[in-house]
Amino acid sequence: MLIQIVNLTKTYTIDGNIETPALRGVDLAIEKGEFTAIAGPSGSGKTSLLNLIGALDKATSGSISYEDKDITRIGISQLALFRLKEIGFVFQAYNLINTLTAFENVEYVMLLQGIPLSIRRKKAQEILNRVGLGEYINRFPHQMSGGQQQRVAVARAIVAEPKVILADEPTANLDSKTAESLLDLMRQLNQEKGVTFIFSTHDKMVMDKAKRLINLHDGKVVK
Amino acid sequence: MFTFLKIAFRNIIRNRRRSLITISAVGFGLAALIFIWAFVDGAHIQMTENYTSLLSGHIQVHKKGFQAKEQLEINIPNPQGIVSGIESNPKVLAAALRIKAFGLAASAQNSSGVLILGVFPDKEIKVSSIAKRIKEGKFLESGKDNSIVIGRRLAENLNVVLDDKIVLMSQAFDGSIASAAFRIKGLLDTGVEEIDKGIAIISYKAAEDLFVMQDRASEIAIRLKSVNDSELVASQIGQALNSSDLEALPWQEISPILKQWIEFDNGFIWIIVLVVMIVVAIGILNTVLMGVLERRREFGILLALGTRRRQIIMTVAWESLFLGVFGTIIGLILGYFLSLYFGKTGINLTIFTQALNAFYVDAFVYPKVSLGHTIISTSLVLITSIIVSLYPAYHAANLKPVDAIRSI
Ligand SMILES: Nc1ncnc2c1ncn2[C@@H]1O[C@H](COP(=O)(O)OP(=O)(O)O)[C@@H](O)[C@H]1O
Ligand SMILES: [Mg+2]
Repeated sequence: MLIQIVNLTKTYTIDGNIETPALRGVDLAIEKGEFTAIAGPSGSGKTSLLNLIGALDKATSGSISYEDKDITRIGISQLALFRLKEIGFVFQAYNLINTLTAFENVEYVMLLQGIPLSIRRKKAQEILNRVGLGEYINRFPHQMSGGQQQRVAVARAIVAEPKVILADEPTANLDSKTAESLLDLMRQLNQEKGVTFIFSTHDKMVMDKAKRLINLHDGKVVK
Repeated sequence: MFTFLKIAFRNIIRNRRRSLITISAVGFGLAALIFIWAFVDGAHIQMTENYTSLLSGHIQVHKKGFQAKEQLEINIPNPQGIVSGIESNPKVLAAALRIKAFGLAASAQNSSGVLILGVFPDKEIKVSSIAKRIKEGKFLESGKDNSIVIGRRLAENLNVVLDDKIVLMSQAFDGSIASAAFRIKGLLDTGVEEIDKGIAIISYKAAEDLFVMQDRASEIAIRLKSVNDSELVASQIGQALNSSDLEALPWQEISPILKQWIEFDNGFIWIIVLVVMIVVAIGILNTVLMGVLERRREFGILLALGTRRRQIIMTVAWESLFLGVFGTIIGLILGYFLSLYFGKTGINLTIFTQALNAFYVDAFVYPKVSLGHTIISTSLVLITSIIVSLYPAYHAANLKPVDAIRSI
């Protein structure tokens, strides 16, 4: 078992009194190497769930354990370290740091991890070749298409060899052909490297690509 | 570390227009500061130089109490030995003995109160520039003890011209009536009213005889190689005098009013410094804060990836420091060359001459850049640019990644 989620709730409080429940008791287990989609309409709690799994936000109650370590109980600077070591993120769009090239974006996470220059170089070049962007390494984000940017984001997420890659609607801003090829790439990397992928979507095509589908509705998992 | 520097630098390049405006604002601010400070310093150098060289000298030695009363009874006995001692100080250019007393100058038609000054012409030339202010005739010459030099306005009041005779009257040191006749050999025009209207200069020998002041002097006027050493050398001389009766006063104490003018100006400069710092602060704050607010999402992603808060703070601080440094370089070059150029040509203030003469300032003021003041202005601008970055830096570092990423 890689991730164990028990009775997880998240309630946002706006202006100190209006409460919006986003997750109402989620129980979920994720095995190592899964390629799982969290599906559900807008507002169903997909982003909230991924943010909690990714240690970007604090749960209201319940627990999330990585290999039996409960991350809802660790402090904020420890969480940054945990994210750095264990989790790769791909967001919906504009994932990249604008002032860094594709190569530098991929290198960035390894840099934070303190990996030596020669290894960084090699790995960044390798992974960019792997996602089909070997020739684009010196381009800045604004010099690439949306699909290419998402590929760089995937490359950046995977290069540091995290336990899990969390992707919140990674194809939402892409046309269906580009979306499909990004999903195929993710699936190939999932198989080659054995990295766990959890991604959210409300797109039927993307759901079909997933090996496992978790349906979220009004903050609850539905069977 | 290097990556954060790179991100900061590229952000400045990316927002070229905004960065350039900020850098120019910082540059012009600093240039103005350097120039204004150089101008004021130049004017002050001129003021002290003009004031001290005209008559007072850089340092004066008196018997204590003379400064306030200027009476013959308060005098320095056996002054020759003291003069040689003072002149052995390597920072001293020359020292001149003077006898100084109030009296009456009378012509056939009129009379007027005057300050009578007895001087050694050869020495006086080295200590003061009063000899150069002769408008008509010439200055005293040694050995000619019945010559006198008086102010131009005094001559008008007495209704006398060159080669006319006037009589000086006063009370001598021994209480007897002092009275002697002199022939006018030169007329002074200094532009300083109290001198032109009220001074009469005779030879030291004549003054000794007139006031019965043998082997006594009212003051020793000293000129140094550099006016900047006045306070230092005054205290050295004061100690060497080794007498509780005598004192050595630097020009700051000879003319407290001049010192006050300068201090007033220097106080005023700090207001300008403050204004420039505010301009720099607003300029940089505006640019950096805008940059941070625009890049909320990017900071969110940096944080999500595991970037530390202090690394975020560094990125923003670098950006601000870059703007500050570039602005400073431009400001330094501009301010320095502006001051240098006008330091050569001078700034023409002829239209204010009348007013300025009263402050011992000439028609042309020559800005002079001081290293110390340049270092102060530059560091203040740089420090401001760093301090100002703290607010946007903490704002960026305290963003919650979830909120920042949601806000596209
Ligand atoms: N920061 C927030 N403050 C207040 N309410 C929020 C916030 N984020 C999400 N919500 C609410 O929580 C619910 C779930 O949102 P979200 O997790 O974004 O769902 P999804 O990603 O499936 O669209 C929605 O009703 C949304 O309005
Ligand atoms: Mg969402």
